[in-house]
Amino acid sequence: MNQETEKTSTRLAAILTDYLANNWTESSPGKRTITATTNMVTELQLDSFQVMEFMLEVEDHFDVAIDLESLANVQTITDLANVVIAARNDG
Amino acid sequence: MKRLLDKFQAVEQLRSGLNLEGEDPTGVVFDSINSATEGVVSGRTTVLAGTNNYLGLTFDPACIEAGIQALNTRGTGTTGSRMANGSYALHGALESDLADFFQCPHAMVFSTGYTANLGVLTALLGKDDVVLLDSDAHASLFDGCRMSGADIYRFKHNDVQSLERRLERLKDRAGRCLVVVEGMYSVLGDCAPLKEIVALKDRFGARLLVDEAHSLGVFGERGCGVAEALGVLPAVDFVVGTFSKSLGAMGGFCVSHHDVLGLFRYVSRPFMFTASPSPSVAATTREALRQLRTRPELKETLWSNANRLYFALRDLGFELGPEISPVIAVRCKDRETALSDWNKLLNAGVYVNMMLPPATPGGASFLRCSVSAAHTTAQIDTIIKKFAGLRG
Repeated sequence: MNQETEKTSTRLAAILTDYLANNWTESSPGKRTITATTNMVTELQLDSFQVMEFMLEVEDHFDVAIDLESLANVQTITDLANVVIAARNDG
Repeated sequence: MKRLLDKFQAVEQLRSGLNLEGEDPTGVVFDSINSATEGVVSGRTTVLAGTNNYLGLTFDPACIEAGIQALNTRGTGTTGSRMANGSYALHGALESDLADFFQCPHAMVFSTGYTANLGVLTALLGKDDVVLLDSDAHASLFDGCRMSGADIYRFKHNDVQSLERRLERLKDRAGRCLVVVEGMYSVLGDCAPLKEIVALKDRFGARLLVDEAHSLGVFGERGCGVAEALGVLPAVDFVVGTFSKSLGAMGGFCVSHHDVLGLFRYVSRPFMFTASPSPSVAATTREALRQLRTRPELKETLWSNANRLYFALRDLGFELGPEISPVIAVRCKDRETALSDWNKLLNAGVYVNMMLPPATPGGASFLRCSVSAAHTTAQIDTIIKKFAGLRG
C-alpha cells in the first residue's frame, strides 16, 4: 500500500467510525475497530444502501464526485480509498 | 462452488423473519374491498389507511361507469404496444387532458408509473450524461438512472447545499446534468425545496425532472403537485407521475414544455416494448382527472383528514415525519417493534404500511399511514384510537 492510499484509508476509517456512531442506530454493528483492511460488506455487514449513504459523507469530506458505478467492486476501506484517489485525480 | 439459486437463501432468511410476529406485512390479502377506505382481512372489517388512495376515487360512480363503457365499446385490452399495434383514440385523449391540466404542450402516457420513470430516464439520459439524484428518491427513479448508462451521483435528501456542491464539482459537465427529485416523498411525506432547486439548476444550466407520483391531486391550487404549489411548475423541465394513487387507476405519464418529449416514443424502450394501457384504465383515469379538476372539495377533505390524524398522533407522543401531509409516517423504536405494532393494528382492524430498512430514510422502521379524502371522521378517529392502544 503506498503512502497516499494508507493516509486516505486511515482518514476513511475514522470517518466511517464516526458515521456509524451517529447513524443507522438500528442496524449498525457494535463498537469495533475499523482499519484499512476492514471489509464493509462481510465484516460490518453494511448493505449497498448503507454504503451509498456513507459515500455522501466521503464525497463532501474529500470534495470529490464519486459515481455509483465506481462502488460496484468496493469491499474494503482500501478499495474505497483507491476510488477516492482516482476521483481526486480525475477532478 | 456457488450455484445459481444459492442467492435465494438470503431472501428466504429475510422473508421468514417477516411473519415472526404474526402476519407477513408483504403478504396481506384483502378478502373483499367494501369501499375506498374499508376492506375485509381474515374475515375482519378493516379501515384501510395504507392505500395511497388520496382522493378516494376508486369507487367513484362516474369513474366506474367510464370504465364499464370503455370495456363494452373497446374491449378488455389493447394486446400490444402503441408503436407496433397502434394507439387507441383514448390514449391520445388522455394525453391531451394531461397536457391541458398541466398547461404544458406535450404529454406522454405509459402503462405503469414504474415504466414511466424507466421510459423517461432512459430516453433522456445516456452515456456521458450525468444525473444528480436525491438520496431518498424512489426505486423506479434509481433504476431508470441505472438503466440509462449515465453517471449517477446522489445528493443528501432535500439538502440544497449538498446539491449545489455536486453541481459545482461537475464544472462544464453541468450542462449535461439532469437533477432528479420527487415532489412529495413517499415514505415520510416531506416535500422537495423546489424553488431553491429550480434556482440552482438554472444557475448551472442543468435540467430538472420532478416525480409528482404522491403529490398529484394533493398539492397546488389545480392539484398538479408540489411544483405548482411552490409556483415553479413552468420552470420544471419534465414532470412525471402515476395514475395509481390520486387517480385510482394504473399507469404513468410525463409532461413537458420541451418538444423532444414527442420524440421519446422512438427511443424509449420501456414505452416501445410494453403493451399500452387498457381502454378501461385510460377511461377511468380520464374521468378521475376530470373529478380532480372539478371537485376541489376532495382536496380540502383530504387535508382536513390529514391534519386531524397528524396532530392526534403527535399529541399521543408518536414521532412523526417532519411535515404535515396525507402521508403520515410513525417512527418505531426498531424493526421488531414495527412488526409487532403493525400486527396489533391489523388485528385491531386498521391496515397501514410497514416500511423497513434498507428502503427507508436513515435506516429506520416506520408505520406509514396514507390518508384519503374518502375517510370519514369516524374512520380517522378509529385509526387514532388503535394507535393510542399501542401505547397502552
